[in-house]
Amino acid sequence: MKQIFNFCAVAVFVFTVLCSCAGNPPKDERELAEKAFADAEAGKDCDRENYLAAEELLNQAREEVNNKNYDKAKELFNAVKEKSDAIAKYYREHPDECMTEKDKKGNGEDDGSIKEENITSNDAADPSVDPKNPEMDFQIIHFEYNQYAVLEEDLPKIDIMAQWMMNFPERVVRIEGHADERGSNDYNLSLGEKRAMEVKNKLIQAGIDSARIKIVSYGEERPVDPASNEEAWFKNRRAEFKREN
Amino acid sequence: MSVRFRLITLAAVIFASMNLFAQLQVEVKDGAVAEYNMAVSPLAVLDGADAAMASEISSAIEKVLDITGYFKILDKRSFLEKPEVAFKAVNFKSWLDVGANGLIKGTVKGKDEIELELAFFDVAKGKPVVQKKYTSKAALAKKSAYRFAAEVIKLLTGEEMNFMFSKIAFVEKTGEKYTLVVTNFDGTGRKALYSTSKTILLPEWSADGSKIFFTSHEKNNPNLYSYDLKTSQIKTVSAYEGLNVSASAYPDNKTIALCLSKDGNSEIYSLDTTTNELKRLTVNSETDTAPSVSPDGQEIVFVSSRSGNPQVYKMSLSDLNKVERLTEQGNYNQDPEYSPDGKKVAFSGRDEKYQFDLFIIDLASRQISRITQNQGKNESPTFSPDSKVIGFSSNRSGKSKLFLSNVSGTRQIAVYSGEGEVLMPSWSPAETN
Repeated sequence: MKQIFNFCAVAVFVFTVLCSCAGNPPKDERELAEKAFADAEAGKDCDRENYLAAEELLNQAREEVNNKNYDKAKELFNAVKEKSDAIAKYYREHPDECMTEKDKKGNGEDDGSIKEENITSNDAADPSVDPKNPEMDFQIIHFEYNQYAVLEEDLPKIDIMAQWMMNFPERVVRIEGHADERGSNDYNLSLGEKRAMEVKNKLIQAGIDSARIKIVSYGEERPVDPASNEEAWFKNRRAEFKREN
Repeated sequence: MSVRFRLITLAAVIFASMNLFAQLQVEVKDGAVAEYNMAVSPLAVLDGADAAMASEISSAIEKVLDITGYFKILDKRSFLEKPEVAFKAVNFKSWLDVGANGLIKGTVKGKDEIELELAFFDVAKGKPVVQKKYTSKAALAKKSAYRFAAEVIKLLTGEEMNFMFSKIAFVEKTGEKYTLVVTNFDGTGRKALYSTSKTILLPEWSADGSKIFFTSHEKNNPNLYSYDLKTSQIKTVSAYEGLNVSASAYPDNKTIALCLSKDGNSEIYSLDTTTNELKRLTVNSETDTAPSVSPDGQEIVFVSSRSGNPQVYKMSLSDLNKVERLTEQGNYNQDPEYSPDGKKVAFSGRDEKYQFDLFIIDLASRQISRITQNQGKNESPTFSPDSKVIGFSSNRSGKSKLFLSNVSGTRQIAVYSGEGEVLMPSWSPAETN
């Protein structure tokens, strides 16, 4: 990034020299001022007053460029550079004074306080369940026998799903409700539908537009495990998310 | 309990001349009928008749008598008398020796045009009781045999039965593939009507037997379709968002009861299939489904989980507030089916061993009798048009097959097993022609 920035600066400089004639915008003064102001940012907390003043001058200078008062603008850019350089210099010489209150707390070796950081960076998350991942794997919601309430332990799966739908607002999903093999086909179709509906309602409560959630019940017709035992039945009593688009 | 069960009371009273059957009574002990031993002799094959057809006819008669539960069909291999012996020359002693109470024998003549003669003899009396000659095209010969069997049953039991003239529709599921199948009542004459991997569910006949309603996810929503048996055309009947399932025909042949979930959860509606006019019949935040319309069109029985678990209820269609719970025992009762005589309701329930078994409620007495026990999963009961036999699916011998049982549950036989699982059978109405 820095290299690109330097390259741009050089390019602008060369361009300015070549076209330096009266009545043109003060491009290199502007460039130098903006760079100096950016560099001053690190010290803004120890000399806030001057930092805000520099910002104000910079805005005025830009305004003058727009108004084609190039001489006035050039003067202001030079003032910005001067102020910014002063802030940066002070920061370099007195870094401790420029620490924010938050930074001081975080550097807590001496006072025994706790340093707390959020670590939800992309590197740390499992991409298969990361709601920022457009190709996130959808997790399966399970149910008790003849019940359609979402199990407590499965609620976070619905939260992740809701976040994913927030992140990708153009996506429409289909929730497929399923029952285990026990019971009549018609009752199980209703039970599967109740399960899909319950999950849909949870997503709506989380703020998802109901128009983005379709549901369909397959009753007992689509088991993931064809065996006739408790383990298979648990796997088969489920709601699955599928992408519609 | 021990009950004297008079088989031919009615016939004996009306036709005094027939009182020779008065001794044909059957002991019922602890629910088990002491059967009437019937010998069905192989038919004599005359004048170039097809031997295979002759044996098909005699076994068709056997099957019909067998499923009523009133008869024990004797093993042919024990018979001493040859099929070719004339009606007038029957040696009754030889039939008494093999333990027969009754004997059916006959002759079949001709190839395309069939002449079928059948006779039923009372072995103890040494006399013929019914003798008939049927002439028809070959394709109808089996039907002639059914008429004869129905007549014998009527004479001996006093009961009118017509189940043998009807068909059964069911779903055959092989892997991912669903096929809508129709067979004769005895599982013969299989016809595959429609196949898809997108599910075929809950087939049900129209009142006139010309169509079969079923649900499919063909368009990724469980929509209700009808299959026209004459034209083979499939039409969409109901395609609301959500469930469109469990059709049951009203006797008017245009209205059906069905379950839709378009209003947020499973509710029962009536739908006029000619005008598409829809009327909501249940209002409940829990599941209401699986309606079965009474033969007079005045009531439905259905499943509701309004008490927390699925139970069978009955509701008046003229007063929707008149709802009565029919099942009290067990916490998983479903799949109710009105008998065509309006007197009984069959359902499947989960028993104390967590198995699904079939039960019948007698609506007058509210007595519940058990049809199956300790024989795997038994589901989807469906009554024959005469209310004498129930068809159902059972996985008692591995994969699910089509079973028939008499209404007392004393006789149960598998009549069809295919490559896949046989599921959700539905018995046709009585044949009209």
